[in-house]
Amino acid sequence: MTTLVVPRARRTKSFNPWGHAGSLLLVVAGLVVLLPFLWVLLGSFKTGSQLNDPTLIVFRPNLANWRDVISSGILQAAGRSALVGVITVSISIVVGSMGAYSISRYKTGGSATRFGILAAQVLPPAVLVFPFLDMAFRLRLNDTLAAVVIAHLSFVMPVVTWFLIGFFDAAPKEIEEQAMVDGLSRFAAFRKVVLPQVAPGMGASAIFGFVLSWNDLFYALILAPGNAATLPVRIAGFNTFRGVELGSMCAAILVSIVPVLIASFFIQRRLVRGISGGAVKF
Amino acid sequence: MKAITLRKSAIAAGAAAILALVSACSSGSSSSSAAPTASAGISADTAGTVRVLMEGVPDTDIVKGLLAEFNKKYPKITVNIESIVYDQIRDKIVASFQAPTPTYDMAIIDNPWMGDFAKAGFLKPLDDYIKNTPNYDYQDFSAPLRSIGEVDGKTYGVPFYNYGLGLIYRTDLLAAAGLPEPTTLAELATAAKKLTTPTRAGIAMQPQRGYKAFEEWGNYLDAAGGSIYGSDGKVHLNTPEAKIALNTYIQMYKTSAPKNSLNWAFDEALRAVSSDKAAMMVSYNWMLPTLNKQGGPAGALAGKFKLATMPGGKQILGLWDWAIPANSKVSDAAWAFISWLTSKEGEAARVGAGGAPVRTSVLTDPAVAATGGGADYLATVGKILGNAEPLCHGSSCDEMINAVGTELNSAIAGQKSVDAALLAAETQANKIQGQ
Amino acid sequence: MSFRARMMAPLLALFVGAVGYPLLYAFYLSLTSYRITHRWDTHLVGLSQYNDVLHNSDYWSALKVTGTFVFLAVTLELCIGLMIALALQRQKRVRDFTRSFLLTPMFVTPIAVGLMFRFLLNQQLGALPAVLGHLGITYDFFGSGNALYSIILIDTWQWTPFMVLLLLAGLEGLPKQPFEAARVDGASAFYTFRRVTVPMLAPVLVVAILIRSLDAMKVFEYVYAITRGGPGIETQTIQYFTYQTGIQFFRLGNASAMSYLLLAIVLTIVVFLFRRIERSRRS
Repeated sequence: MTTLVVPRARRTKSFNPWGHAGSLLLVVAGLVVLLPFLWVLLGSFKTGSQLNDPTLIVFRPNLANWRDVISSGILQAAGRSALVGVITVSISIVVGSMGAYSISRYKTGGSATRFGILAAQVLPPAVLVFPFLDMAFRLRLNDTLAAVVIAHLSFVMPVVTWFLIGFFDAAPKEIEEQAMVDGLSRFAAFRKVVLPQVAPGMGASAIFGFVLSWNDLFYALILAPGNAATLPVRIAGFNTFRGVELGSMCAAILVSIVPVLIASFFIQRRLVRGISGGAVKF
Repeated sequence: MKAITLRKSAIAAGAAAILALVSACSSGSSSSSAAPTASAGISADTAGTVRVLMEGVPDTDIVKGLLAEFNKKYPKITVNIESIVYDQIRDKIVASFQAPTPTYDMAIIDNPWMGDFAKAGFLKPLDDYIKNTPNYDYQDFSAPLRSIGEVDGKTYGVPFYNYGLGLIYRTDLLAAAGLPEPTTLAELATAAKKLTTPTRAGIAMQPQRGYKAFEEWGNYLDAAGGSIYGSDGKVHLNTPEAKIALNTYIQMYKTSAPKNSLNWAFDEALRAVSSDKAAMMVSYNWMLPTLNKQGGPAGALAGKFKLATMPGGKQILGLWDWAIPANSKVSDAAWAFISWLTSKEGEAARVGAGGAPVRTSVLTDPAVAATGGGADYLATVGKILGNAEPLCHGSSCDEMINAVGTELNSAIAGQKSVDAALLAAETQANKIQGQ
Repeated sequence: MSFRARMMAPLLALFVGAVGYPLLYAFYLSLTSYRITHRWDTHLVGLSQYNDVLHNSDYWSALKVTGTFVFLAVTLELCIGLMIALALQRQKRVRDFTRSFLLTPMFVTPIAVGLMFRFLLNQQLGALPAVLGHLGITYDFFGSGNALYSIILIDTWQWTPFMVLLLLAGLEGLPKQPFEAARVDGASAFYTFRRVTVPMLAPVLVVAILIRSLDAMKVFEYVYAITRGGPGIETQTIQYFTYQTGIQFFRLGNASAMSYLLLAIVLTIVVFLFRRIERSRRS
C-alpha cells in the first residue's frame, strides 16, 4: 500500500484552475470534433458541383446522396460490422478479463506471455491476411463472417487483455483478500468483488475493442464475402475510379457514427462512470 | 438489326456444332488449362453462374445495363457483377487466384498486372477461344491494345475498355485568350501560363507520388518526343527528352498549376476543372463525355470542354482486359459473355451507351457516335489509340511504376535535381524489371 | 490445474487457435523466397530475406518516419487527452452526452477519416484553407516538409478520444481517499496532480501509451488515402511500405521478414522500457 506524504502546505485557499479553463477546453475540444462532422453533414446534402464550393453553407438540401447510400445496403453493412464487433468484444472481454487477472495478480506466464500476445498487434495485416485466408480455407470458413471474427480476435483480444491488466494492477489487492477472508472462493471473489471495481476499465476496453473491430478494413475486405461486406469496405467503396463520391461518402460516414454514438452513450453511462462511492475502505 | 443477325447466326452455328458441344455444355469446361472444348462459338445452351469483380467505373454500369441483352442470347448463364475499388480488386482477385475454390470465375485485369499474372499462371490462355469464335475479328482491336494482353506469345486477355490519356481543355477560355490548340510541349506550357488567373489555374496537375505522377508525366515525355521504353526493351529515362519533359512539368507545376497541389490525384484535378478552378487537365479520354454531360459534375460548364491528343500526338495508354482465371470452373460460360460483349455488336452497344472504345471499327460508326459522345470525340479517341504507349510492359510493373513515380515526385517537390531523379528512376526501373 | 492456470487457459487457447497458425505461417514465409506470382518457385532461404531487409535503406527510412510519427502523435494525444479527461471528470452538467460525443472521431473508419481530411484540407475544395485564406494565410498541408505533420494532426483528431476514454476510466476508478487527504492538507491542484493523480494513474498511463503507440505504428489508411507515401518518401510508413512490398509488388516473403524484424525491434524496446518502469516503481 502506498503511503502518501503530503507536506503541510500554507493554509491558503487552493487555487483551482480547472473551473473555467476546464469548461473552455471542453468547448474547444467539442468544436474541433464537431467542425469536420458539420462539413460532412453539409456535404451529405450537397450535389456534385455544390461539393466543390467549400464556403457554401446555405443551400437547398438534396436527398440524392442519402437515397443512394441507403439503397446501397449501408445499413446491412453496418449491422454486419456491429455483429462481428459485438461477438469479437464479448469473447475478448470474457477471456481477456480472466487472463488479465491471472497475469496481474500472479504474473502467469511471465514476460513471454504478456508480450507474446502483442505479436499479432504489431504484425501488419498485409502480412497476416493471406495466412488467415489459408487457415479459413482449411477450416472451411472461407467467405464467412466467422473468418473475420477470428482475424479480429487477433488484435482485439491482446488489446483488451492489456487494458485490463492495467486496470487490475491499479485495483488494490486488499479488497479481494478481504472477500476471501470473508469466505468467498477465489473465482467468486474475482467475479463479485474485483470485476465491479474494474467495471470502468471493462467498459472502456469494450468500447475500444469494438471500435477496433468496427473500423477494420483490410481483413474484412479479403476474408468476408463480397455480397456481405462490412461497413468500412462499403465506405471505402465510395472511392471510385471516377473520383471519390464525396456526397455519398459523407452520408455513409454519418450512418456509421450514429449507432456507435448511441451505444457508447449507454455503455459509458453504465460502466465507464463506474460505481460512485467506491468500494474502498482504508 | 445487328442484334438479330447475331442471334440468328449464333443459333445456326450452335445447331451445327451441338453434337460436339453436348458434353461440355452443362457444367462448363474443366478447370485444367487444356484447350477449351468449344469448337465453333459457345452454344446458346451453355449454363453456369459467372462471378466477376469489376471496378466502379462508368463502363461497369454500362455492362450491367447490357446484361439483359446478353441473357436473351444465353438465357442459362447468370453473370454476377460485384463492383469495388481499384486496389481492392487486385487484392481480392489475387486471393481468388490462389484459393482452392475460386471466388471469381472471370476477371478484369489492369495492364500493369497482366505480365505478372500471366507468368504466374493465374490466367487461362484464350487463343483457342478466340480462334474458334466466329466473326470475332480479333484484329479489329487497336494494335497497341492487343499487345497488352499478349504475354510470351499467348493471349491472356482481350480488351475491355481503354484509359488512354489526352488533353482536356476549355474551348471558351482558350478562344478568349486567342490561343490555338497546343501542338508542342512548349505551346502547352505557354497556354497554361496564359490561362492562369488569380482565381483559376491554367492546368490542374496530378503529381501525387507513385502511380499518378508517372502516369501524368509519361504524357509530357511523349509530348517532348521521348518514350518510356527504348527499342532494346529497356526503360530509358536518362534522355534529353525526359529532362526537357520533367523540367517543363516542374515549371508548369510551379507557375500554372493550382497552389498547394503536390498530392493531387485524379479527384482533385477533376473537381478543379469542373468547378472552374482550372482551365485544362491531362486526363482519361472518356472523362470528356462526363464533363460535357448536361446536369453532370461540371454543372454550368457542360459542353465547353474539348479533347485533344497530347501535343505532338503521342500519349500514354492504359487498358483493362477481360480474362479467365486458370482456376475458373465455368470457362465456357465466361467466354460466352466475354466474346458477346467484346464482339463488334457488343462493342457498338457499349460505346454507344458511353463506354470507352477498344475496337477501331466503332470509332467511325455514326450510330455509335450519335449517343457515344459525338463523332469529333471518337475521332480524337481514334488518334489517341493509334499513337499511344502503355505505361509498362513485362513483369513487376506495379513496382517499377511506383519507383519511377517516387523519383518524379521527389524532383517535383524539389527534394532532388531533375538529372538525379531521372537517373535513379531509370536504374531502379531496369533493376526491378530484371533488365 | 492451479487457479491461475485455469484463468489463463481460455485466453491462451483462443490465442493459439485463432492466431497461432497465421503467425507461424507468416514466419515460415519470411524464411522463404515466396512471391505471390511465383509460387512454384519457392524455396527456403533461411535468413537471407532478413539480411536483404536490414540492408534496405527504404526500410530504415520507413522506420524513421513511423518512429517520428508515433512519438509526436502519442505525446500530443496523451497531453491533450489527459487534460480533457481531467476536465470531463470535473464536469457537472450534460456529462454523458459530452463524453459520448467527444468519442465520436474514433468511430469513423480510418480510410473515411483520411478521405475526409484530404478534401477538408484541399486548397480549392476544403473549408479549412478557405478560412485560412480569409485570414491571408496559405499553407500547403501536404507539401514537402509538412505532410507528415498534417498526418500527425489527423491521427490526433481521431485518436485523442481513445486516450480520453482510457484515462477517464482510470481516473474514475481511483480511490477517493488520497484526494481527500490532499485536499484537507491544502495541497495545490498542481501538486495533487503531480504527486497523487499521476502515480496512481501510472498503470493505466503505461497501458494507454503502449497500446496507442502500437496502434499508431500501424498507420496506413491516412497515407493511403492522401499522400501515397509522398512527397518523395516523407510519409512512407512501415505499414504502407510492407503493404506495397508484400501485396502490391507480390514479394510476400520479403514483407514477412520486414514484419518479423519490426516485431523484434518493437518487442525489444517495449520489454526494455517495461523493465525500466518496473524497476523505478519498485524503488
